[in-house]
Amino acid sequence: MAKERTSKKKESQARQIWKRFRKNKIAMAALIVLGIIILAACSADLFWDYQKDACNIHVPQRLQKPSAEHWLGTDELGRDMLCRIVYGARASLTVGLAATTFALIIGGILGSISGYYGGKLDNVIMRCTDVLLAIPGLLLAIAIMSAFKPNVFYISLALGISYISKFTRIVRSAVLTVREQEYIEAAKAIGAKDHVIILKHLLMNCMAPIFVQYALAIGSRILSVSTLSYIGMGIQSPTPDWGNMLSGARAYIRGNSYLVLGPGIALLLTISAFNLIGDGLRDAMDPRLKK
Amino acid sequence: MEKDTRPMLEIKDLVVEYRTEEETVQAVNDINLTIRKGKSLGLVGETGAGKTTTALTILNLLPETTGRIVDGTIALDGDPIITKDSSGKSVAAKTDVEMQKIRGNKVAMIFQDPMTALNPIFTVGDQIAEAVQLHQKCTPKEAEKRAEEMLELVGIPGSRKTDYPHQFSGGMKQRVVIAMALACNPALLIADEPTTALDVTVQAQVLEMIKELKEKFGTSVLMITHDLGIIAEMCDEVSVMYAGSIVEHGTLEDIFDRTRHPYTRGLFNSLPNIKDRTARLKPIRGLMPDPSNLPKGCAFADRCDYATDRCREGKPTKRMLSDTHFVDCCLYEDGKDEDRL
Amino acid sequence: MSENVKKDILLDVQHLKKYFSTPRGMLHAVDDVSFQIERGKTLGIVGESGCGKSTIGRSILRLLEPTSGKVIFDGQDITALNKNEMRALRQKMQIIFQDPFSSLDPRMTVSQTIEEPLKLHGIIKDKKQREQRVLQLMETVGLAERLYDTYPHELDGGRRQRIGIARALAMKPKFIVCDEPVSALDVSIQAQILNLMEDIQAKEGLTYIFITHDLSVVNHFADDIAVMYMGRMVEKAPSEKLFENPIHPYTQALLSAIPVPDIHHQMKRIVLKGEVTSPIEPKPICRFAARCPYACDQCMHSEPEFKEVEPDHWVACHVKG
Repeated sequence: MAKERTSKKKESQARQIWKRFRKNKIAMAALIVLGIIILAACSADLFWDYQKDACNIHVPQRLQKPSAEHWLGTDELGRDMLCRIVYGARASLTVGLAATTFALIIGGILGSISGYYGGKLDNVIMRCTDVLLAIPGLLLAIAIMSAFKPNVFYISLALGISYISKFTRIVRSAVLTVREQEYIEAAKAIGAKDHVIILKHLLMNCMAPIFVQYALAIGSRILSVSTLSYIGMGIQSPTPDWGNMLSGARAYIRGNSYLVLGPGIALLLTISAFNLIGDGLRDAMDPRLKK
Repeated sequence: MEKDTRPMLEIKDLVVEYRTEEETVQAVNDINLTIRKGKSLGLVGETGAGKTTTALTILNLLPETTGRIVDGTIALDGDPIITKDSSGKSVAAKTDVEMQKIRGNKVAMIFQDPMTALNPIFTVGDQIAEAVQLHQKCTPKEAEKRAEEMLELVGIPGSRKTDYPHQFSGGMKQRVVIAMALACNPALLIADEPTTALDVTVQAQVLEMIKELKEKFGTSVLMITHDLGIIAEMCDEVSVMYAGSIVEHGTLEDIFDRTRHPYTRGLFNSLPNIKDRTARLKPIRGLMPDPSNLPKGCAFADRCDYATDRCREGKPTKRMLSDTHFVDCCLYEDGKDEDRL
Repeated sequence: MSENVKKDILLDVQHLKKYFSTPRGMLHAVDDVSFQIERGKTLGIVGESGCGKSTIGRSILRLLEPTSGKVIFDGQDITALNKNEMRALRQKMQIIFQDPFSSLDPRMTVSQTIEEPLKLHGIIKDKKQREQRVLQLMETVGLAERLYDTYPHELDGGRRQRIGIARALAMKPKFIVCDEPVSALDVSIQAQILNLMEDIQAKEGLTYIFITHDLSVVNHFADDIAVMYMGRMVEKAPSEKLFENPIHPYTQALLSAIPVPDIHHQMKRIVLKGEVTSPIEPKPICRFAARCPYACDQCMHSEPEFKEVEPDHWVACHVKG
């Protein structure tokens, strides 16, 4: 009984979450790794010339092993691997973020409407997401991509659409739990309009599960970009992407395995980082784990 | 009146803390409690006073990671539960397995919320029978028969033993929980706010039933509640708890007619008076002190109208005002039993 | 009724019904309830869980849409208002909730919570003035100024309930539904809050509906008391009358069941058999008949009418009425 009393410290919830997140060593390591990857992707232009180093072919330098000049060696067309991996991060991260954000916005709107109003509207929205869920996500993305030009915009769109139903469900269930809280009724009682209640009271209080899913979804979207690119439906050569790099390196896997290791490890690190951050966030936001 | 006046439960100098990384909560601070056989003791106090912690300590059910018994001893029917080792440290006298045998057999506990105390996937008959078989040597048939008897005893037709918990209403569930608790004829029943979740008319039924069973089987009862009305009806003796300490203890007459401690008086004054409905309530001002940061002196001093510098400087001396009436307040340090409020 | 014309009626509820559809049929949560409240008075509504008392409060405020019936507030039938008109009227009718933990948005500070209604209705546009008003409200309900920027989870139940009261008072309402405002609080804190609500009522001339299951609290607090049983109002009378001379067998049992904190109190307790069930598709018989010690043939065949047996004392019972 007495142990439930909260200590009297002036702190916002966000700060408390950050404090608990910081104590989680693995999640912090993941955050640092991700930070380095993002920093590298942003500052790539300081070290290389995109067109010259990442795209143009330098046949004389093809398939060089890692050396002082080319830290990760060069690929079958003589391009520096490190340079291409760093530029590849740009594509993966951009698409990953854009696709997830797109899915979050559409899914968030649908989910909160569905959860808040309930009834027939809820039924219609949920049946539509059921239909979407029944189609394997990657298959849907491939189908969409076969109709459009494979550029960053359409890839994001295709990968986003296949994730909308997941976010709709997550947001809806989060909204359903918060909707029953008396402060929602209190907001109605003081005469707040529906959109104020949804945006200010409902969604802001379901941020925890949504954030966690957001982080996890980015990881999953990045993997999907690479898959699409690997099978040639995503980002096209010569634009570097981890997926199409892996695809190109396939033929040389015996003699020049470093060609696979580079983009493979980059992919592994990025996706693990997002997943671990997601897990860390979940732990930090779950008040039951508060000691 | 029974001749046997040996103590069923004896708690001496008990101190319990909850320790976390950030703070140490002093939940129970040096309390003494004795329940004689066949008697019932009411433990009354507000949220956070340490009532439930006391009950959990008796059953050795404190949360393992945070709860810690700092000092004191507990004996059940003369059998030590918490003792002191050679260096004077308080340690558990029983192993976990031994404690399991005592729980549900010698001591049974009824919790506040009957909804969570029953397993939804087993019939109530099976659940009571299981409790019986755990503690008594008997065949499944006998256990089942015993379950049926227990249900009848608490006023539920025995034929309902094949029903699942969700088929019972709140009051009925609490009856099932009580049937389960009493199935092994416990010598001590700990009831932690057993009727708080129930409606008034159902509460009346359940209280009536506990009273009957107590008389029938001579069970000792520790009744934990915040409701002085229930205490007046159910108990022989009362301990008033505040911020982890017992501030006043005595017979019903001592507490209700010869109220001495300002906190006990404050509790009575906070209640609406049924006879004089327009009388203004006299609440106790302020709040209970933070249990992780108790004051040096009397914990009630900041809310007390009679507090002096003496109260704030050091703990009051505990006094017996009569053979039965104990009070922990600076006003009575001379030990004279007169109304000073 | 005719002699009551002079009374200054603030709220007139006529044949209010609220049904919920459940898989097992229509649940008659509130079934044809009518009552009036005079300006500045308090009506206590008591009953056990599931009797429909909270549903009444919420239906009057149209937080739940009534199935049928009229709610006339200050001469205006509010069941006929559209969404925007109702939103504007909410300034005049407020609610205080039972649970001081779930009724406050955990992300909003004390001041943000109290300020919200002022902002929403554009009552005070100037930020400085709004801050002044919030501080004034905090003082009214007894919240120290230093709590201005704290979050609800840092505060105890009593203080949180004060925030809820301040939020309700912010728009200077005329009428407040208090839905079990003290039942989650400890007795010493409960008394503080009850006194506060009394003081505010006297100062602002407020009219209350006080919903509770605690009879001793309602006796202390309300001018009139209405007893509910399974969606029906079974008895209504001025508090003293109801406590001195309860007529309905259910009221009698309810009153006798209160544990009195007095060891010299002698009262014959009427222990009812059985429990309240939910009124799903109720038959047209007396809903209390199954538990009633006086039930007769008539009770099992027709539903008793809610009638005035003495001046101001209304009862729905075949036998005692």
